[in-house]
Amino acid sequence: MTAATIIQSLASGLLMGLLYGLLAVGLALIFGLMDVTNFAHGEFLMLAMYLTFFLFMFWAVDPLLSIPLVAAGMFVFGAVIYLVIIRFAMRAKANIGMVQIFATFGLAILMRGLAQFFFTPDYRSIPASMLGGKTISIFGVFLPVPQLVGALISIAAFGALYFFMKKTDFGRALEATREDAGAVALVGIDKNKVFALGWGLGSALIGLAGGVMAIFFYIYPDVGASFALIAYVTVALGGFGSVFGAFAGGIIVGLVEATTAMILPPSLKSVGIYAVYLLVVFVRPRGLFGSI
Amino acid sequence: MTISRRNVLLGGAASAALLPLAKPARAQVKEVVIGVIYPLSGASAQIGVDAQKAFETAADIINKDYDFALPMAKGEGFTGLGGAKVRLVFADHQADPQKGRAEAERLITQEKVSAIVGTYQSAVAVTVSQICERYQIPFLSADNSSPSLHRRGLKYYFRAAPHDEMFSTAMFDFFDALKKKGQKIETLALFHEDTIFGTDSANAQIKLAADRGYKIVADIKYRANSPSLTAEVQQLKAANADVLMPSSYTTDGILLIKTMGELGYKAKNIVAQDAGFSEKALYDAVGDKIPGVISRGSFSLDLAAKRPMVGKINDMFKEKSGKDFNDYSSRQFMGLIVMADAINRAKSTDGEKIREALVATDMPGESTIMPWAKVKFDELGQNNNADPVLLQYNGGKFVTIFPPQAAVADAIWPMP
Amino acid sequence: MDSFTQRRRRDLILAAALAAIAACVPFFVKDVYVQNIMVLTLMYAALSQAWNILGGYCGQISLGHALYFGLGAYTTALLFTKFGVLPWFGMLGGGIISALIALALGYPTFRLRGHYFVIATIVIAEIGFLLFHNWDYAGAALGIDIPVRGDSWAKFQFTRSKLPFYYFALVFCCVAWFITWWLEDSKWGFWWRAVKDNPDAAESLGVVVFNSKMGAAAVSAFLTAIGGAFYAQFVSYIDPESVMTFQFSLLMALPAVLGGIGTLWGPVLGAVILIPMTELTRSFIGGSGRGVDLILYGAVIVVISLARPDGLIGLFSRRPASKGVPQ
Repeated sequence: MTAATIIQSLASGLLMGLLYGLLAVGLALIFGLMDVTNFAHGEFLMLAMYLTFFLFMFWAVDPLLSIPLVAAGMFVFGAVIYLVIIRFAMRAKANIGMVQIFATFGLAILMRGLAQFFFTPDYRSIPASMLGGKTISIFGVFLPVPQLVGALISIAAFGALYFFMKKTDFGRALEATREDAGAVALVGIDKNKVFALGWGLGSALIGLAGGVMAIFFYIYPDVGASFALIAYVTVALGGFGSVFGAFAGGIIVGLVEATTAMILPPSLKSVGIYAVYLLVVFVRPRGLFGSI
Repeated sequence: MTISRRNVLLGGAASAALLPLAKPARAQVKEVVIGVIYPLSGASAQIGVDAQKAFETAADIINKDYDFALPMAKGEGFTGLGGAKVRLVFADHQADPQKGRAEAERLITQEKVSAIVGTYQSAVAVTVSQICERYQIPFLSADNSSPSLHRRGLKYYFRAAPHDEMFSTAMFDFFDALKKKGQKIETLALFHEDTIFGTDSANAQIKLAADRGYKIVADIKYRANSPSLTAEVQQLKAANADVLMPSSYTTDGILLIKTMGELGYKAKNIVAQDAGFSEKALYDAVGDKIPGVISRGSFSLDLAAKRPMVGKINDMFKEKSGKDFNDYSSRQFMGLIVMADAINRAKSTDGEKIREALVATDMPGESTIMPWAKVKFDELGQNNNADPVLLQYNGGKFVTIFPPQAAVADAIWPMP
Repeated sequence: MDSFTQRRRRDLILAAALAAIAACVPFFVKDVYVQNIMVLTLMYAALSQAWNILGGYCGQISLGHALYFGLGAYTTALLFTKFGVLPWFGMLGGGIISALIALALGYPTFRLRGHYFVIATIVIAEIGFLLFHNWDYAGAALGIDIPVRGDSWAKFQFTRSKLPFYYFALVFCCVAWFITWWLEDSKWGFWWRAVKDNPDAAESLGVVVFNSKMGAAAVSAFLTAIGGAFYAQFVSYIDPESVMTFQFSLLMALPAVLGGIGTLWGPVLGAVILIPMTELTRSFIGGSGRGVDLILYGAVIVVISLARPDGLIGLFSRRPASKGVPQ
């Protein structure tokens, strides 16, 4: 293995890592900061990818330009899902985590079924777009443009989320609501309103990821399954309650994956990611930067 | 009086014993029920849904009168069973061997199917064929290509189509032929998924490469439906073999080609083990990036020039599905025709009778829609005369380039 | 305490009555397809009961039980196909291996809380899956095809009849239920309730609770592996995709959650509703190829978990559903 291959692997790993971060940033808000389990995260991503695809197919909107539209659409979708489903799943008196897991697991299967019903199980993809297939080469290291843009969006999204959580009233309200819904009610904060907005925002972030993924990935009803577990591991590795943690988690996952693939057969490359997660939580039971 | 009556009774009993089912069957059978087990939901649903259309096309040809030189086309329904119609019962196995097994059992005991055709996933074919064996119902693998399937000593297992070893042999024959013409082919890179399909395919290719003196410079086994193939493609790029040989389904095939473009790797040549590389979806997505890609197959639309019915039947399928026949749908179509032909000759819906008829099958290649020499099963139930072809993707369509007797054009080598 | 004792006696009588009825059902139901559903229902009831010991009573939510299921299935199948060891010994061996692994994994993972623990169980099972998927000796992706040579109790294989499997699954289900019933009134059960009612008590009970949870993990893993061994014999073919995936882990937990997590009857009730529904929707609607079976299945799960967040068992209880754990 030459030095060039190693550098290329690490560069690609870093880009993939930022992309995993982007895939996980929505989950970092919903799962990591609001402490609500969403097992339909992958299916939200699937929906965002289909939205991008249909905007392209019917109105020839380039995926890059449709990202704000998709994010807006996903915002509404996320808020509605909270109000219609998640709100009730949070009423359980015991084992609230399990109820959330299974309500959202049911939602995931439902969404896959609906996608197959309405969109057919055919594999779709966007054949040509402004960024699709473009790549730049620096000293022989290839950096695909869609992933580069994805990485930039990822950094921007994490920055915005960090600012939002730390500097805005709403961010503080969100955190306070998670910690003690009863107490915030006393100061006039409506938990459902805050959480519905939180879900909308988290879903809009998934919309960003979906828009970027649609440029270079295939789309079909089960596509979310490929990403869901990596997104959960990314959030938990970074630690619950930490925006920066999920960001760092993504990068670590990307680099570990690239490194493992150099050592083990590529079919085992996820083993490296999982092993690193276990190692981290055995040493630090709250992930790298977690507070809860 | 009493004696003669007894004689009649005895005679009747004797003839009934000799021909247990033939008589009532001919008189009573109104329809022949055939079970079709495919993944109709879940990750492989697309294959199953297309398969439904292929089987419906075949059923249409069986049940109505068509002037094709194809068995079962002429006349309505099963002429050997007094014009009985075929009825298909579809079942969903969701790519789960246990569910496939349960569905096979349901089709046999509740729907009273006379035969079963399936299954796309080889793992499901294992359990479905086991159940068929237990109930003595013939099972025909329409599109499973795992070579291990017919080597399990099952009496009721049949496969009309080639398996991966036959497919891979065709590829290496093709390489040998090119080398004779002076092309340089020394190194191969295998890229295969970690499923039964990928493993079987790679094992066959590794063995053939060793036998025929090709060097495998990369053997990449990857996890199917991975979120990224970047690391895998880097290894392929570093190896830069003379021929890249992927065994991948549509999803990974699309991602492979896109990732190769992103990492600035242009394969010298690609010879694919079918699967994703025969799917329209892959060429819609990345076809422009891989002009000249070669895939093995068991079907080719350019056969229509020699056999006009191929084009007509393809049009019928296209009307239902919006797609041309590909390697899968053509094998599925042909699978049902082969099974129906056997039932027709058996003149019975009894499993053992159909099995005997299948064993006796000898269908000339010209009366199929495939480029096969003929359909004739060996003692393991495999048709060794199903010659695979190699197809080259060029100008938006596939052209048969190998073997010479089926080729309509010379291969463009190396890939443009 | 009196009402508790009374309730326990009532539960035992009810269980005996239900088991007796279940034992008679095959005399009236001859259809193998329906019998197949009944076998799966009992198997999932037992598996979910085993999961419930750790996930429900101890509150250690594991979504990685497919690991133990797979270990049970693989130990049995490998010992039989490679060494000719009868499946009954393989079943026991798989159970013991699983229990030991559960103990080894319990030591570091029980320190983790909440989501960290859940995700740890998922990735551990996923590592197991990937290793088996790439382990050539165990058939890797090809799996293991168990040769069936005719009906035999010694080899625990039956070509057509479902009845032996049905009765085994029934006994398995009863054993899992009885162990749960027995644990409820044991010292362990007492600690678990104490910890649940008052998390601070966990600190003061410390070591004993930790040890009891390790015990629960071992029992749960052992029973799950027995289920895996049974499945291998029942289907007579296993591959990593069909016995070790994450979906399987969810399917083991789902009946308990829908029926009533941490309750004696929840897993049985959940399995009786969920498994026939899964099978029937797939068989009779799945053939359309339009995903309607998934839509229905998903919708039912959503509706049940929203309408009855504490489990369907609440419908049968005179007391508030939240008191799922006996007081």
